Formats: sequence, C-alpha cells, structure tokens
Amino acid sequence: MDSSATLEELEQRPDYDVQLESLNQWQLAWRRFKRHRMALLGSALFIFMVLVGLIGPFIIPYDDTVIGAPDPRFNAGRPPSITHLFGDTGRLHRDVLTLVVNGTRLSLLIGVLASAISAVVGTFVGGVAGYFGGWLDTILMRIVDALLSLPLLFVILAFSQFLGEGHASWPTMVLIFGLFGWLGIARLVRAVMLSLREEDYVDAARAAGVSDVRIIFRHLVPNSLSPIIVATTLGVAGVIIGEAFVSFLGFGVDPATPTLGNILSGALEFISQGNWWWAFFPGAAIVVIVLGINFMGDGLRDALDPRVKV
Amino acid sequence: MTEAVVAPERRAGVGDVLLDVRDLRTHFEVMDGTVKAVDGVSFSLRKGGRLALVGESGCGKSVTALSIMRLIDMPPGKFAGGEILFEGRNLLKLDDREIRKVRGGEIAMIFQEPMTSLNPVMTVGDQISEAVLLHQPVNRKGAQEVALQSLVDVGVPDPKRRVKQYPFELSGGMRQRIMIAMALSCNPKLIIADEPTTALDVTIQRQILELIKSVQERTGTALLLITHDLGVVAETVDEVAVMYAGRVVETGTVEEVLLNPRHPYTRGLLESIPSQGKKGQRLSAIKGVVPNPFRMPKGCKFEPRCPYAWEAGAEEEPPLIELGPDRTSRCWLYDRRYADHLADYEGRAQKKSAEVAS
Repeated sequence: MDSSATLEELEQRPDYDVQLESLNQWQLAWRRFKRHRMALLGSALFIFMVLVGLIGPFIIPYDDTVIGAPDPRFNAGRPPSITHLFGDTGRLHRDVLTLVVNGTRLSLLIGVLASAISAVVGTFVGGVAGYFGGWLDTILMRIVDALLSLPLLFVILAFSQFLGEGHASWPTMVLIFGLFGWLGIARLVRAVMLSLREEDYVDAARAAGVSDVRIIFRHLVPNSLSPIIVATTLGVAGVIIGEAFVSFLGFGVDPATPTLGNILSGALEFISQGNWWWAFFPGAAIVVIVLGINFMGDGLRDALDPRVKV
Repeated sequence: MTEAVVAPERRAGVGDVLLDVRDLRTHFEVMDGTVKAVDGVSFSLRKGGRLALVGESGCGKSVTALSIMRLIDMPPGKFAGGEILFEGRNLLKLDDREIRKVRGGEIAMIFQEPMTSLNPVMTVGDQISEAVLLHQPVNRKGAQEVALQSLVDVGVPDPKRRVKQYPFELSGGMRQRIMIAMALSCNPKLIIADEPTTALDVTIQRQILELIKSVQERTGTALLLITHDLGVVAETVDEVAVMYAGRVVETGTVEEVLLNPRHPYTRGLLESIPSQGKKGQRLSAIKGVVPNPFRMPKGCKFEPRCPYAWEAGAEEEPPLIELGPDRTSRCWLYDRRYADHLADYEGRAQKKSAEVAS
C-alpha cells in the first residue's frame, strides 16, 4: 500500500470505496429457494396448474355447459380420443378435459381465497393474543382450543347443508373453509409474537411513542411473515383436498359447477363400467396441485428460515 | 462541619426544573414477594442540564429510566408511590394517549443495544420517519426529509444511501448513530440514554459520547445518562446521582462527587477503578454483594458492605442529608451526632489517596 497517495489518487483506484451490495431477507430467501430442487419442481407444477386454471378455459374448444349427443354404444362415456383428449363422461357426455380445466380453476380459487381469509383472521387473532397476553390471550386461545376440538368435517358438512340447502355455492365454500382454517395460523402467529414482543426494537418503538396496534401490525407481523407464508401455502393444499372431500360426499358445490371434487363424485358410479378416465384426470389434477404446493411449501420453509446459511 | 439538614425534596430554582422525580417507588410483584427495584428515588434535572444516574447492575437505575418513560410492564410492575414531574405534569398520571405524545416527542430514549434496537425488516429511513410522523405535523415526504436531515446531523456518511438500508447492513456504531438520530428527530426536551456505549467498542464509545454531547449542546436538550461507567460520567455530564439498592445515595456536581465522594459507596466505586497509578497493586473492590431484594437490610442498605459502618447504620436507614446546594449524601456520617465517625472517615480517605498518589 502506497501511503503517500493523495486522496485524489486514491479515488482513481478501482478498489477505493468498494460498495458491497448486500442482499435483503427476501433476496437471500430467493437464493436458497432456487437451490431447492423439489421446491422448483413443486413451483413449476403449481404454476402450470394455475395457468391451466387461468387461461385454460379460453383455449379449450368446448364450453363446460355443453352436453354431448347421447350415444347408446358408449353409455358409460367415450374413452380418450383426438376430439376428446380426456374422454367424456357417462350419461351426459360432457368433455372431461373441459371439466378438469374448469374444476382446476374453481378448486384453486376456493383454495387460495379460503387460505387468504384464514391467514388474515389467524394473523389478527394470534397477533393480538400473543402481543397483549393476559386475559385476552387466555380467552382467544380457549376459543381456538374449543373450535379445534370440534370434528371439523361434520361441522363443514352441517354448514354446507345449512347455508346452501344441500349444495353450497362456491363463495360459501370459501367462507366455510376460511372461517375454520385460521385456527392453526392463529396458534402459530401467537407463538411467534410471544417471542418477538420481547425484542429490543419493540421497546424502542414504544419509547418513540408508537401505539400497540401499530407495533403489532407494522413491526411484528412483518417480522413473522415467513411462518405465515409457509402455513398459508400449505393451507391452500389442505383446502383443495378438503373441498374435494366435501364435494365428493355430495355436500359441496353444485354438480353443475365443476370442482375437482364433484367431478370425481360423478365418476364414481361409472368406474365399474370401465370408465377410468372420468375419475383419473381430475384425480391426477388434485395430486399434481397438492404435490406441487407441498413441495413448494417445504422449499419455502427452508428458504425463509434465516438460520440456514446460503 | 456541615450542619445536618434533612432534605425532604430537592428543588433547583423552580421554573427552570425540567424533570423532577420525587420519592419514586417502582415495585414488582413476583412469585416470591415484592421486589422494590426503585424505592424512594428523588432527583431533578434542569432544562438543558446533564445528569448521570450511576450504580451497579440491579441498583434500579434502568427501572428509574423506564418509569419516566412509563415503559414498565404492569403487571408485574406497579408504581407504589411518588411522582415524576415533567414540566410540572405528573407523568405517572397521564393516560395512554397522552404518554404516547410524551414518548419520543418530548422525552426520547437511546437504548443499550444498538444491534437489536432497530426493527430488522424496516429501512432506517422508515423507522426514523415513523417517529417523526407521530409527533410532527408533516406528511410522509416531509418526514423522510426530516429523517435524512437527522442522519446528516449525527454525522452518518452517505445519508441518502443509508436511509434506504436495513439495519443488518450497518455496524454497531452506525446503528447507535441511527438511534441517536431517531431520538433527535422530534426535537425532544429530554434525552434518556440508557448505557448508550456499553455494547460498543472502546474506540466507538468515545465517538458516540462526543456525538451525544455535541448534539446535546447544539440543541439545548437535557440529558439523563444511565451508566455504570464512571469514566463515561466524568466526560459527559455536569451532575451525578449515585444509586444503590433502589435509592439515591449521593448527589452533586461531577467534580464534587468524583473528587470528593461523600458516601462510602461512591468512594468504594471510585477506588475499584483500575488505573495506571495502582500498577502492581491488588485491585480494591467493595466486599460482599448487592443485597438480596427479598432480604434488604433493616437500616442503611449499604451497611453490611460498608468499611466505615457502626451501629447507627445497622439500626436505622439514614435520610438524604443536604450538605450544600445540590449536594446530598444518604449516610449517618453527616449527622451532627456522629462527627467523630466523620473525622475518622476523612482521615482514612486522605491516607488512601496519599497511598495512591505515592
């Protein structure tokens, strides 16, 4: 190092005042996520299914309300062919590809919206309970315990019966799953809040005159986003399975409106008559979506964990 | 010999007093009983004045600071008595909304741990402007400008880039500068600095102290410094209140207290500072430990550890005795009845300082 260099000379040197670009939390997480092979595969599957749901209905040649002409030779439906890639259904001869595409769209919509409701309600309840503690925490968490102890499936069946007279509309399904799905997230957020509220920056914010509500939602919730994101992502898969289950049992969305679950429900009767395609394709769609989300969620969990070094 | 006059409360020329803490008692109800962390603390601070609260860990100095900000968690904490007058208003009586106006706006606080006192997911600029928005009539853009200016004021290099950075991108010293900028941004009348340099490197400590001092002088805000480091005290403040076991045991100007301690505890603290003059000698320390909060001595709280103690201290706790203007000591030595003990204390003290000098 030449100690006699003037400041002007120093500034000319390429290594003077090197400014290191530092990565923020999300950039680091993205870097870890990119290296997670299963996560990338999962995301690819999920994104593919989202695209199917988003633009599929505009590409496929048939409308989902179209009913094919009756064909006595194929009472249980026609097998996959060039005109009907996934075959068609028994009895009404609806195109299975069309049903699966529209079902994917609706199932994903229900899953995403219900999970979003769960995330908002759960974060609110868990955040308030964890931050304030005391009697408020006790009351809110006992409510959560009580709701968790209900056999959820029966409650949902009862609700869909009650709200939709046997067949719920899809917004009702969103509401039902949203209103029962926040319990886990509330517990999770509360646990995170219990530890975050002891952080020094909370005291510093209080000392600056910031109100409690603002501290919870401006300071603490952003700091607990990682587990919320992971839980919400995995929650989407849970809702899709749950919706399929309820619809399969015939308590879900009206069979005229296809969701992946009630397509399966209709297929049940014809499987014994050799119609495998009617059940296989919507089933496969569920598997692909759920698998994709679960891989993606695992990857997110690893990527968003700040303890993992890149 | 000074007349022993009991000081019921200390008043420094009414009108220019900014903060007047009177007989503050902050207690904590815990499983095993009541911890009287602060039990009868009184001191006052003038407008633009600089006062240090000094004492060992657990003496109640931080609890005093947090009580002023009303940041004590209740329960388990509770105010068992006393008042904190800030410009004549009793802070202990304010409701939530009013105290939030005071926090950050009129009294700002700088914390000990710059590494963890900033929110990791908010940019520096957002954190400073959040406080500004709460206390000043400006819009978002105006607040960002105030934030930028306050970074310039505390000597942060390249402030335009810093406002967009996250705390993890900054060093400890830089973060403490940010905390100071945040405290200054709303032009408070009082800054409470709770051990602001304890977590920093020695070289950075000096810079931060100089910075606190220079902004204090420039803005004319008062400073309440909480510290256990007498070196920091000597460099930064004008007046000192020494605390022990939840009480103030001695007050005075910084020269008076550091050069001529009038309480055996203060003397003990000063003698335990390692220095070049004591090379080769054993470090002196105050024998014993801070009393257990559940088993406080009946009389003087320092009596069990005091090398000058006699029966008076064991039986009854001495009051804060006034020795002169703004000069007090909580020790029986300054009661007229015990003049012979005082002569002995001063004789031994002189011998000790002669030893050190030789």
